[in-house]
Amino acid sequence: MAEGWPKQRRVLGSKVRRLDGPAKATGLAKYTYDINRPGMLHGVIVRCPYAHARIKAIDSTATRKTPGFRALTILGVSRDGVVVAVEGNQLTYTPAAKKKAGQEERITVTVNERVTLIKNHKVVSLKEVQVGDRLTIEVEQDAIGRELFFAGEEIAAVAADTEEHARDAARALRVEYEVLEHVVAEDEVLKDRNKRTVPAPSNYSEGKAATQGDVEAGFREADAVVEATYGVPVISHQCLESHGLVAEWTADGGLTVWASTQATVATAQQLAARFGLPAARVNCITHYMGGGFGSKFGPDVQGFAAAELARRAGAPVKIMLDREAEITTAGNRPSAIGTVKIGGKKDGTITAYAVDCYGTPGYTGGATVNLNLLPYVYTDAIPNWKRSHAVVYINAGAARAMRAPGHPQNCVLTEFAIDDLAARLGIDPLIIRRKNLPPNNPKAPPNSWAARRNTIYNEQIDIAVQLSRWKEKWHPPGQGNQVGSRRYGIGMALHTWGGFAAGQPNECFVIIGRDGSIVARTSTQDLGTGQRTVTAVVVAEILGQDPASIITEIGESRFGQSSGSGGSTTCPSQAPAALRAAQAARDELFQKVAPKVQADPADLTIAPGKVVDRKTGREWTWKEFCARLGMEEARGRGVWSLGIANEPGNEDISSGQVGGVQVAEVSVDVETGLVRVHHIVAVQDCGLVVNRLTCESQVAGGVIMGLNYALFEECIRDRVTGRQLNADMEFYKLGGLGDMPKITVHLQDMPERGVIGIGEPPVISTAAAVGNAVFNALGVRVPFLPLTPWRVLQTLAQGGKIR
Amino acid sequence: MNEATGPGRGGITRRGFLTGTGLAAAAASRLTAESTAERAAATQETAVAFGPGPVRIELVVNGRKLTTQVEPRVTLLDALRNYLDVTGCKRVCDRGTCGACTVMVDGRAVYSCTMLALEARGKDIRTAESLVVGGRLDPVPEAFVRCDAQQCGFCTPGFVVALRAALDKNPQATEAELEAAVAGNICRCGTYEQMRQAIAQLVRKGG
Repeated sequence: MAEGWPKQRRVLGSKVRRLDGPAKATGLAKYTYDINRPGMLHGVIVRCPYAHARIKAIDSTATRKTPGFRALTILGVSRDGVVVAVEGNQLTYTPAAKKKAGQEERITVTVNERVTLIKNHKVVSLKEVQVGDRLTIEVEQDAIGRELFFAGEEIAAVAADTEEHARDAARALRVEYEVLEHVVAEDEVLKDRNKRTVPAPSNYSEGKAATQGDVEAGFREADAVVEATYGVPVISHQCLESHGLVAEWTADGGLTVWASTQATVATAQQLAARFGLPAARVNCITHYMGGGFGSKFGPDVQGFAAAELARRAGAPVKIMLDREAEITTAGNRPSAIGTVKIGGKKDGTITAYAVDCYGTPGYTGGATVNLNLLPYVYTDAIPNWKRSHAVVYINAGAARAMRAPGHPQNCVLTEFAIDDLAARLGIDPLIIRRKNLPPNNPKAPPNSWAARRNTIYNEQIDIAVQLSRWKEKWHPPGQGNQVGSRRYGIGMALHTWGGFAAGQPNECFVIIGRDGSIVARTSTQDLGTGQRTVTAVVVAEILGQDPASIITEIGESRFGQSSGSGGSTTCPSQAPAALRAAQAARDELFQKVAPKVQADPADLTIAPGKVVDRKTGREWTWKEFCARLGMEEARGRGVWSLGIANEPGNEDISSGQVGGVQVAEVSVDVETGLVRVHHIVAVQDCGLVVNRLTCESQVAGGVIMGLNYALFEECIRDRVTGRQLNADMEFYKLGGLGDMPKITVHLQDMPERGVIGIGEPPVISTAAAVGNAVFNALGVRVPFLPLTPWRVLQTLAQGGKIR
Repeated sequence: MNEATGPGRGGITRRGFLTGTGLAAAAASRLTAESTAERAAATQETAVAFGPGPVRIELVVNGRKLTTQVEPRVTLLDALRNYLDVTGCKRVCDRGTCGACTVMVDGRAVYSCTMLALEARGKDIRTAESLVVGGRLDPVPEAFVRCDAQQCGFCTPGFVVALRAALDKNPQATEAELEAAVAGNICRCGTYEQMRQAIAQLVRKGG
């Protein structure tokens, strides 16, 4: 059986400061946005100002004359082809794509200054073109007729010597639009389901439905049934470092990009595919990264555009999105509005749950909730349920994964209903939660989630109850403490998440030098999660070193295989890969040096800062021992994936599926409608903790993102113009330090479960817990997030009764 | 207001500029007599004021005199980042709401995206990069590192500079006063809990 995590842990699970903390805190760390290459140009994207339009005319003549202009690309129209004839200013080619057997399509183009020809990654004139050449051909006029589906959709990109000149050049591009009908509000689609303002056949798509048991019988059995509609809005990732990259073609025809990405390898692969390069000729560098939260998995339009402009201009090009584009085009968390009916007995048993919901992913995309996981953590306990979800398309940017995609919506649609049912039954909602937890499966492997989930949730609820003083603070809704116009309340919610290793292999390499230096190298990226430090902690543990002494080289696609940082898979993939790499490097070190010190490699072991021969008791300092490598070095490669994790004997190295419980304590001012959160308790199941400091930070950070979802965030669109009104940071609200409650994080260590990713789970249940606390304070449900003063007052005004 | 364009210069005259709106005049007055070249220009009726083309400027950044050419419309933030490669100040909202671009100008915390580079001439500009000398961290970033008051770190230099400015102004600042000093800064990763710990430690140590 493979060697697992050490039983005696020296560094693992302790609090280790971020290795890159000083560089980041003093501005010395170079993020993608900070990269300034010699001769670098700045790129700006021309975007559609309308929510739905068709291009009627386009003319770049003025753009090309602006000061400092260097390159232009009209997006979405370039084609690759092989030249079959050149006559005068006429170029005839056969398109590389979509060649049908037996018939060859031929396209003839009149080449003028608004037609761009690219050969071998360089712009060429028609004179330089010969029959048989493979070209990229971009005809500006081909953009005419293109339909654009949201305000902000990309039309063209320009590069100029300064950013100011690039903006001038972008403004000078003349585009005429035929403005088409748009829809930017979900309710308008519901009024007319046959509307079509998006690529799909209609703006309304029925979606999926499923049922279990006999829902109607379940409701008949119930002592109380509650039906209500709850909802969460579309929100934006708001990565502080916007999406973008710097592209630089190397003299030998390779491409180097500095990208703000959660996936260096995938980004490099996508660029290689687009530009017809071997994957090894593209290096994607992400040494530091200013937040992604699920929205940064590839080059995106702006990344391809930067690389395209760079090859046309023969100079590096940087394109970073401005804030408006970041919010309107670079992804969002979709909305979910659901009508929930729930029935239960006086003892807290839920007899039936039915949800009919819809949401918008923007102009394209799929379901906005995890329909298969409703009624969320209680699914396996509730005998009768029914669920359905429709997709509503609107003229807005497309959704992307956002930190626990679908789960926060599921959590609200389930946990709000549970507290409303408890109120109707006149019981503490804790009783319902405990009564309907998923059962342990005695047949499952002993440390697996399935075998322990009921026990884990009950323990977590116990801890949360104690840390939040629930028993003392909970009261029937609306019957709690009052101080002046403020009402106090407390609320709870539960969540679950995977956090397994990634399906794709993740590699890590450890190199021990003869000077005793240790390099840990991996292509994975550190989004701010602390992954760089995690790698160092693991290597330091195995090799008896201080994590700060490990040289970490991360975030370059050329460093090996790694998956994108999504699904909380990075730590459970990379920590085991680092473990295996360090073990392999250690074993190679022993193999190489043992003969030179007349020892048996099997007798050698590592203690802090030294190597020990267990047989003879001899000791060498780490440096002494490594010096015996002579001209060699010791290398180890580690690889990990979900497949390897699932092999017998590996379940305590990494696993997955976690539970968490959060409790929020709030006060609501019934005169102003202002909600203040005073305390949040977050109990998180997290398997084996690698770095306690950054693990706690992840949980607290998730809670704060959930708090923002509860109180502040919402993409607000104007129905008339179809544009987002708050594509900025003054009216798109995010909490500051003064808005923050005290946050108590409790990590529920279960080292026997191995490493589990926890980036996503703590973000899930916060908003539901806050919403339930507001309900507990007021005695009336504010059904839609965010819980703004306006919404609170509106709820109170519409008949919500308070004491 | 641009009636008296100098021949062949393409710019506006100082007189035309100064007789413009009150706001423009106020802005212009802040730019007057900052350098000898300026003073000389002020005495010549037809002298071109600024732009629209690039203007040579000298900025004192972290104690170093740096020279570049920027158009008058260029903000201090963009001059530092795009022209002088001083990138500790980050561009996030670019309109004075998130605090990521905070720098110290003559000791005061300023959103560098809301100040023109021209306005910053002759002033002492300090960025986060000044808070480490020879590998020795200033107590503010040191506290941030110790408490893990950063994740992606993109907002961190702005927070750190704002706190440094507040502590320089009042080394006995209370926790509440330091929290107020960063009320204009936004962190998306959610490191506020750890930031409070860092602030508490700074207050105990007296900055």
